[in-house]
Amino acid sequence: MAVAEYDREWRKKELSLREVINKYPHISPFVIIKTDVQRRGVIYTDAALEKVDDSIHQTVHRNFIGEKVDKTPVSLLLRDGTSILSGGTYQGMPTKRDPFIVDVVDGKIVLTDENEVFEEVEYWEKPAFYDKFTSSGKPMWQVAWARPQRIDINPNQYCQFWETPGHGCKYCAIAAAYKSSDKEQFLKIEDIAETVAEALKEKGRYTNILLTGGTILDGKELLDDEVDYYIAILKRIGENFGGKKFPSQLIGTAFNEQQLRRLYEETGLMTYTADIEVLNEEKFNWICPGKAAKIGYREWKERLYKAVDIFGRGNVNTGLVVGTEMATPNGFETEEEGIEAILTEAEELCKHGVSTVGCVWTVAPGSIFFNQKTPSLEYYVRIAEGLDQLRRKYGFNIDMDNYRRCGNHPDTDLSRI
Amino acid sequence: MAVVIGDGLRALLQDKNTIKAIATVDREGRPHVVYKDSLHINNEGNLVFYELIESSQTNKNLVASIWFKQKVAVNILGNDKTSYQIKGTPYKAIIAGREFQKHYELVQEQLGIMDLSTVWVIEPEEVIEETFEKRRQEEEKAHPLLGHLDRWVVK
Repeated sequence: MAVAEYDREWRKKELSLREVINKYPHISPFVIIKTDVQRRGVIYTDAALEKVDDSIHQTVHRNFIGEKVDKTPVSLLLRDGTSILSGGTYQGMPTKRDPFIVDVVDGKIVLTDENEVFEEVEYWEKPAFYDKFTSSGKPMWQVAWARPQRIDINPNQYCQFWETPGHGCKYCAIAAAYKSSDKEQFLKIEDIAETVAEALKEKGRYTNILLTGGTILDGKELLDDEVDYYIAILKRIGENFGGKKFPSQLIGTAFNEQQLRRLYEETGLMTYTADIEVLNEEKFNWICPGKAAKIGYREWKERLYKAVDIFGRGNVNTGLVVGTEMATPNGFETEEEGIEAILTEAEELCKHGVSTVGCVWTVAPGSIFFNQKTPSLEYYVRIAEGLDQLRRKYGFNIDMDNYRRCGNHPDTDLSRI
Repeated sequence: MAVVIGDGLRALLQDKNTIKAIATVDREGRPHVVYKDSLHINNEGNLVFYELIESSQTNKNLVASIWFKQKVAVNILGNDKTSYQIKGTPYKAIIAGREFQKHYELVQEQLGIMDLSTVWVIEPEEVIEETFEKRRQEEEKAHPLLGHLDRWVVK
């Protein structure tokens, strides 16, 4: 698998974590630390690994961009409740920048960089269902995984955009992950139903259920098969709940109005996301050529606006892979340009009732962008601040994607106060 | 630096008849004070309470406090009018895991089907006795020149 080349001089080319924390004293240092760890990844000392307890901590993990079965933790939690998605499936793989080191100091598990201790961390705990099996014999950890307060299900482990040469999203490793494994492409609906029912027995463990996976283009109309699959899954999950609706999020492809109405009216789904990934039409066309060819940037936005009419304001958002707009050779030339472009477009979406959340782009081994370099920490911090400020300006809450549900977005972490 | 909570104060905190309030400030320094029946002391000597409402102003202020090392203040008033103020800094927001779930079930046992957002842990840094009678005597001793003359008059 193609991996990145290390850049020995990277620390001389950008502000350090401590410098960024000092430069932005009004921004939570916890969120800045989280952002940098997600950008650079982690490795563990032996002492830190001795603190891993298989019976408590989540170590094995399967999602649509990879699988890990080693004994390192899937992810981390800071003492303020902020999650750090520390790149479980990419652990230990070469990167352009030095990863953080998780170590033990005075008996506490801590994040360190160049021998400076930044913060205490805990390891994510595994859910009670993890070691159980469905009636078909499927290990439940291969059906769903869990963030600290959310059940995550990836029903489709592949993406049809990759079936057309040149149409896969350039930052994504879904195709490489799928083709290098022997996992089945589609999860069985019964396995999902049994796993969710088992998960819900654990009191206080979950606040939301997320479904997401690769795109299914097939159907009488484009994407009909993807919609049908999710509707069938959501109906089975919904049998656990008394009322019509239940806290849930679907991150799907950009569905048309009829498809959106079916999702809303036929299931208990409460919130909807269609990730536009890159908030600039030219960069979108380059980075997500399949999405551009089949739906198009402007139509994608229109479908998000229509989703607001159906699901309601505050219940529709779009996600970005922040930093991909700076990829070479066709990305923005300066970080200032990138920040201006992203936040201007994000404000346009806000005016139509759509909130934007940003993921910290982690360069994925096996992706087309495997040897790209992500922007500076300062870039991510400014984007996160900008997205949070836009939500405040337009009066959006971000309950659907907040720190304890997703935990992947520095901007939604800032929205806690 | 954490202070050790003495046995008398500990007992007062554990007494279910004690009134307990917590004062916090937001990022702009605007104060906010609420009563928190659940406030208690844990085995490590830290203050702990249950925030039941995720979007409450107290919850937001505590997040701001843990982020930017802002202090919070707790005041407790016992049945016998004994009162203490405890100042400290939030150390941890427990929002997930076995420890959270243990408290979640306890909240449900005590309060019925009630949600729990966060278990807040506050490190106490300063304890001040605010019992009125004690404060009044301290004031008279330390500031004999303060107070109204008519109270000095021999009748």
